[in-house]
Amino acid sequence: MTAPEAAVRLHRLTKRFGPKTAVNDVSLTIGRGSVYGLIGPNGAGKTTTFSLMAGYLRPSAGSVHVLGHEPRAVDELRSRIGVLPQDATLPATDEVGELLVYLARLQNVPYRKAVDVARGALEEVDGIGWWKMRCGNLSHGMAKRVALAQAFLGEPELVLLDEPTAGLDPKVAWEIRQFIKGRRGRSTIVISSHNLQELEEICDGAAILDRGRLVASGKMTELTAADDEVRVKVAAGTKRGSGPGEVPMGELRELPMVKTVEFDDEALEIVVGFERAQTNVETVIGSVLSSLLRNQVRVSGVTRGRGLEQRVMDLV
Amino acid sequence: MSPTVEIRLVLARELRRSLRSAKGIALGALTLLGAFVTSLICAWVEGSNRSQLGAESSQAFVELKREAIEKATGDPSFAAYAASIPSSLLAFLKVTIWITPLLVALVGFDSISGELQQRTVRFWALRTRRWSYFTGKLLGLWTLVAIVTLTVNLLAAAVALEKGYVSVRELFVWGARFWFVAFVISGAWAAIATFISACFVTPIVALLTTFAVFFALWLAGLGGFVGRLKDASATGIVKDMSWYEYLYPNAYDTLLLSSELTRVLMALGILMASIALIAALGSALFERRDL
Repeated sequence: MTAPEAAVRLHRLTKRFGPKTAVNDVSLTIGRGSVYGLIGPNGAGKTTTFSLMAGYLRPSAGSVHVLGHEPRAVDELRSRIGVLPQDATLPATDEVGELLVYLARLQNVPYRKAVDVARGALEEVDGIGWWKMRCGNLSHGMAKRVALAQAFLGEPELVLLDEPTAGLDPKVAWEIRQFIKGRRGRSTIVISSHNLQELEEICDGAAILDRGRLVASGKMTELTAADDEVRVKVAAGTKRGSGPGEVPMGELRELPMVKTVEFDDEALEIVVGFERAQTNVETVIGSVLSSLLRNQVRVSGVTRGRGLEQRVMDLV
Repeated sequence: MSPTVEIRLVLARELRRSLRSAKGIALGALTLLGAFVTSLICAWVEGSNRSQLGAESSQAFVELKREAIEKATGDPSFAAYAASIPSSLLAFLKVTIWITPLLVALVGFDSISGELQQRTVRFWALRTRRWSYFTGKLLGLWTLVAIVTLTVNLLAAAVALEKGYVSVRELFVWGARFWFVAFVISGAWAAIATFISACFVTPIVALLTTFAVFFALWLAGLGGFVGRLKDASATGIVKDMSWYEYLYPNAYDTLLLSSELTRVLMALGILMASIALIAALGSALFERRDL
């Protein structure tokens, strides 16, 4: 048993496939109630880590605990954990409704209630019209929604989603993101994906994996420095200096809340670091922009932090 | 949730899946057609035998059989027992259990390997104990084959009844027993096929391995039978089965149809213990494997 506040706890987790080490000594704790991302390039070990959390794979070394139990403790975890596997095919000959009812029955839901639970889950993914359709006749997007419905069947405490929007057209992907956002607060959600924009949008925290190792983890704001840094994009041709249209580095450094100021001539980006304990990001943005506009600097964009994509690129 | 409920749910789904898949429907139709033709042939053979022996009634035919068997074995009680067995139904049983491994292999090869390959198994992995899943799959296959053998036995019984070769009473006594023999033997085949299916991620490999194993077991049975036949023709004494003949599930049919209760119980015990052992091994293996 582990502390009750942890939804997932990995301790020195290692998985080897023959000579290849897919996950190497990963330790990680995911708190309850969060939406957490597993990030990394292809081959980083995301899906393997995910599969270890779901109990599909056995660890070569180390341990995994979900909701305080080993993932294979079916009786203890029944109905408490839902999983969307990335590459699992729905059984082609089953009708959508009967499949969801069957899965609900396996979650120990009585038959009559199982029908209601299955209908409810299908309605949430806008798929109630597919009740009598064979799974083999569903499009990729429809199948993904049905798979999503089964993952959230019966309001599980923890839901693991492996690449929930992979291979989907932008509209369906957006709808699925909205669905996941709508579930925030109702379950702890762990999402494995390499779509960084998506994860930055959805997740409260994330772990970054590279070649099987954990290279960073924490809250999303910490990973992206969103609470410590403001980046201002300026128009092409802008230089540092004190004249009109030039970046007033000295003036910016003298702003009371500012800790550091850098100007990247190539990226045409001003990076302003500040002490989060002393101020808030909105005040910093206001002050920096005010100073730049006074100097007639042409601003083309402002972002909080460096963005998840940039952070990942720095690390892997 | 008890494992029994899990097994029942997996079993019911397995039956549904098999009965509605294109493979299941095609195999079912072919089996029924084949069974109908076979039952007609068995009845025709019995009719020919009756004509050759000049038996005008069933009673006369049984008496002629009894005399012939007693002459060959010198055992009056065995001859009386063996002669009472309806010939066409016995022949049909032999065909049924000979076909059973083929049916089991074709229906069962992908029961687990197919779900491993498509990773469909991942949808149930957190909802059922792995051994319940394995047992449910095995029982699902066994039940399906039992339903098929029951159906084809009823078909053969109807033909024999229509021809007047068996009475309704004989059908209840012998028909039920023949089906029971087919049922127990098919359980052993189903256990082996499910075990092999759980070992492979690629269904075609599971199918070929199942065929190879079934063929090896058939060879063991055939080798033992031919050896005993040679001995019997040379010495006039029918020996007991060699140890390797016991590996072939179909070899138990004579034991299960024996007039001696101890032989019936021994055969039943060995087959049921084998099924339980294979199920335990398969479950343990499936428990350890990555999905």
